[in-house]
Amino acid sequence: MKLLIGQILPYITIIIFVLGVFYRLGRWVGTQIIHNITLSDPWLKTNGQVAVRIGTEAFLFRNFFIFDKALWAGALLMHLSLLNVLGGHVVGFGTLGTQFAFIPGVSEQLSQSLSNDLGTIFGILLFVALAYLLIRRLSITPIKQLNKPSDILWLVFLLLIVGVGDIMRFFHQFHVEYEPVRDYVIALGTFQPVVNMELLSNPVFLVHFTLVNILLILFPFSKLMHLFGMFAERWIVNRTYHEPAPGMPNIDVAAARKAGLGLPSSGGGAESSSEGV
Amino acid sequence: MAEYKGMAQPSRASDEDMRKIHIEPVPDEQKPEKAVEYLDYIRKQFRSFVMAMETCTKCGQCAENCHTYLGTRDPNNIPANRAELIRKIYRRYFTLEGRWFGSLVGAEDISLDLIETWYSYFYQCSQCRRCGHVCPFGIDTCEVTFIGRQLLHWLGITPKLHSDVGAAMERVGNHTNMPKPALADTLEFMCEEAYDEFGVEIEMPLDKPADILYVPSSADFLLNPYTLMCAGMFFHYIGASWTIPSAVTEAGNFGFLFDQYYTQRHNIMRLLNAAQELDTKKIVWGECGHGWRAAKMYIPTKADRPVRWDITHLHDEAAHLIRNGELKLDPNKNSRPVTLHDPCNYVRACGLNENMRTCIKASCSNFVEMEPYGYDNFCCGGGSGILFDDPDMYNKRIQLSWKKAEQVRETGVGKNGDGILCAPCSICKAQLYPMVEEHNLGVEVKGLIDLVGKALVWD
Ligand code: HEM
Ligand code: SF4
Ligand code: SF4
Repeated sequence: MKLLIGQILPYITIIIFVLGVFYRLGRWVGTQIIHNITLSDPWLKTNGQVAVRIGTEAFLFRNFFIFDKALWAGALLMHLSLLNVLGGHVVGFGTLGTQFAFIPGVSEQLSQSLSNDLGTIFGILLFVALAYLLIRRLSITPIKQLNKPSDILWLVFLLLIVGVGDIMRFFHQFHVEYEPVRDYVIALGTFQPVVNMELLSNPVFLVHFTLVNILLILFPFSKLMHLFGMFAERWIVNRTYHEPAPGMPNIDVAAARKAGLGLPSSGGGAESSSEGV
Repeated sequence: MAEYKGMAQPSRASDEDMRKIHIEPVPDEQKPEKAVEYLDYIRKQFRSFVMAMETCTKCGQCAENCHTYLGTRDPNNIPANRAELIRKIYRRYFTLEGRWFGSLVGAEDISLDLIETWYSYFYQCSQCRRCGHVCPFGIDTCEVTFIGRQLLHWLGITPKLHSDVGAAMERVGNHTNMPKPALADTLEFMCEEAYDEFGVEIEMPLDKPADILYVPSSADFLLNPYTLMCAGMFFHYIGASWTIPSAVTEAGNFGFLFDQYYTQRHNIMRLLNAAQELDTKKIVWGECGHGWRAAKMYIPTKADRPVRWDITHLHDEAAHLIRNGELKLDPNKNSRPVTLHDPCNYVRACGLNENMRTCIKASCSNFVEMEPYGYDNFCCGGGSGILFDDPDMYNKRIQLSWKKAEQVRETGVGKNGDGILCAPCSICKAQLYPMVEEHNLGVEVKGLIDLVGKALVWD
């Protein structure tokens, strides 16, 4: 079991994840932007404007903010917490919680407790936000009408991963220190045997770790690819556009008016203020 | 047939009609297999389609933002579900997850029933792009509808309305089957009308080599005469050398709506040929929403040769002259309350938002915006030519215009029964003429150049 999950599975996961993502991206690259379907809402004139538009959509969820504040709050909270949790996994474990120590006046100890508290807070927020999105998915009529089983399963699955992760923080009998995790990852990365590591005797960790592996294996074949799809799609509909210049050839309005074009040569004609139009 | 297993459907072109537009209908038993084959062909081309298939997270934001869902509350009219009608097949035949997990991820085998479902729901979507405008990713369900309709067309399923229009265009160069003598008569008649009503003497040249090629909607010869007459007055007022090409008296391009391959390209080439023959220096487009999008955004990528002409919209040109102070307009000539319905293609695909407002504000003394307006505006419910008259579909059209009716009512412009609903697009007009009656809105539907033309001060 430890051999399978702790030693072998991670390599399989990485390979499938990387190949899978490249497979999906390759399928997209193989197609073309055939016609100009830029959205004129409004036209973007410079690449700077394009960057701002795509950036605010990707990181601040601009459209949700404009059209549905409740969804905006939930989705942003979920994704921001997720970003922090993922970031925390990398920097926190990587530096053993001393990531904030570079700030003047923050000691390593303070940094570690900061790292700990932030981890806990974002862990809870992420769980709450996922739960909120799940409840929304199960209660709002149009969204219920959109659901496929996988849409619900993904949220449940993520809740599970996050829930199990949170358990390791709340129940000290399952608590995991930063150091063994770092050592474990380093060992995997340098192809050292890890089976005898104590970390792998923690059943909750094993469950969390297995679920994450499954997540990464399924990722390239799931809707989670919207992480990349988002940019690919925006790259189609948000690009620069330049209007052809207005102004018609050989027009001299002043001369035309001076010549009285259109005014009846013989005088007369009907009242021009009639209500005909 | 106007109904299939409870679904409303537009009455369809006969096999004979389809042959007139060069399609040999696929027999029913082969349709499912062929549908997958055609889809495979097309999905390898369009990234916009692939991204719509593969990126949606089912967040549901598009639902309450599509007038078809608001008007019918039919789950299949949620944009993401409309796309799902093809996505099921896409998943099942072209993705690993669909093959492995089947219905868990919403994959489904192709069937004739599903194809019939496409026919119902891809002809309720008006390709208005409001879904793409509000989607967090910018997923444009309009692209899916385009392709759904294309597949149906290749299978031999096209509404009679659309196939007739396609055939008429090929025969005489406009959608209403008007031959050149009728066009000439109408133009002459309009010049007389302009004299009788506005006291001005104008010319409306047909096929006279000129600097400006004006492409009117053919509906303007019949249903919206003031739009054409006032465009003529505008050109005359500014002393333009202009003409209308009898080869293409059609600003619309239904090919864009049901066959983006042969039909759309054929219409485009016909126009470019005419422009060359008439010694054109610039092409100016008339009031037609989908047609303007098809011209402005698609001619560059669909034409078979490099395009030598700048193509602008009549409203662009009018607004330009207004901003330069070259048009003398008296807004008091249009003193009735006016609101503006923004044609979807103008505001979300062609950037006409500001220019329409420049024109209307300079020409009307009592202009009220509706809510929401501009880029956020809702479709009239007739977009993409779903102007079907068979009873089932006509009833749908009433439902599809529900949101528009609510918007117009809220402006209050029709409360005394003398309001004007400016809808500067032939399809919007054709949809709204009956709909303002159905919904009792107390407004008269007009074009935008109609208002500008009336406000012109000649002396
Ligand atoms: C730049 C990166 C990303 C952007 C812009 C983004 C954007 C979005 C948006 C706009 C939604 C729809 C709102 C919603 O339903 O909550 C969404 C949903 C979702 N995202 Fe992301 N996302 C990103 C990265 C990720 C990543 C890395 C994950 C990985 C686990 C993820 C997981 C999810 C899930 C599970 C949903 C569905 C929520 C639901 O069912 O309601 N996202 N994302
Ligand atoms: S708004 Fe976009 S992502 Fe959300 S359900 Fe609609 S198409 Fe899918
Ligand atoms: S294009 Fe318009 S009608 Fe069609 S699905 Fe999108 S919002 Fe609805």
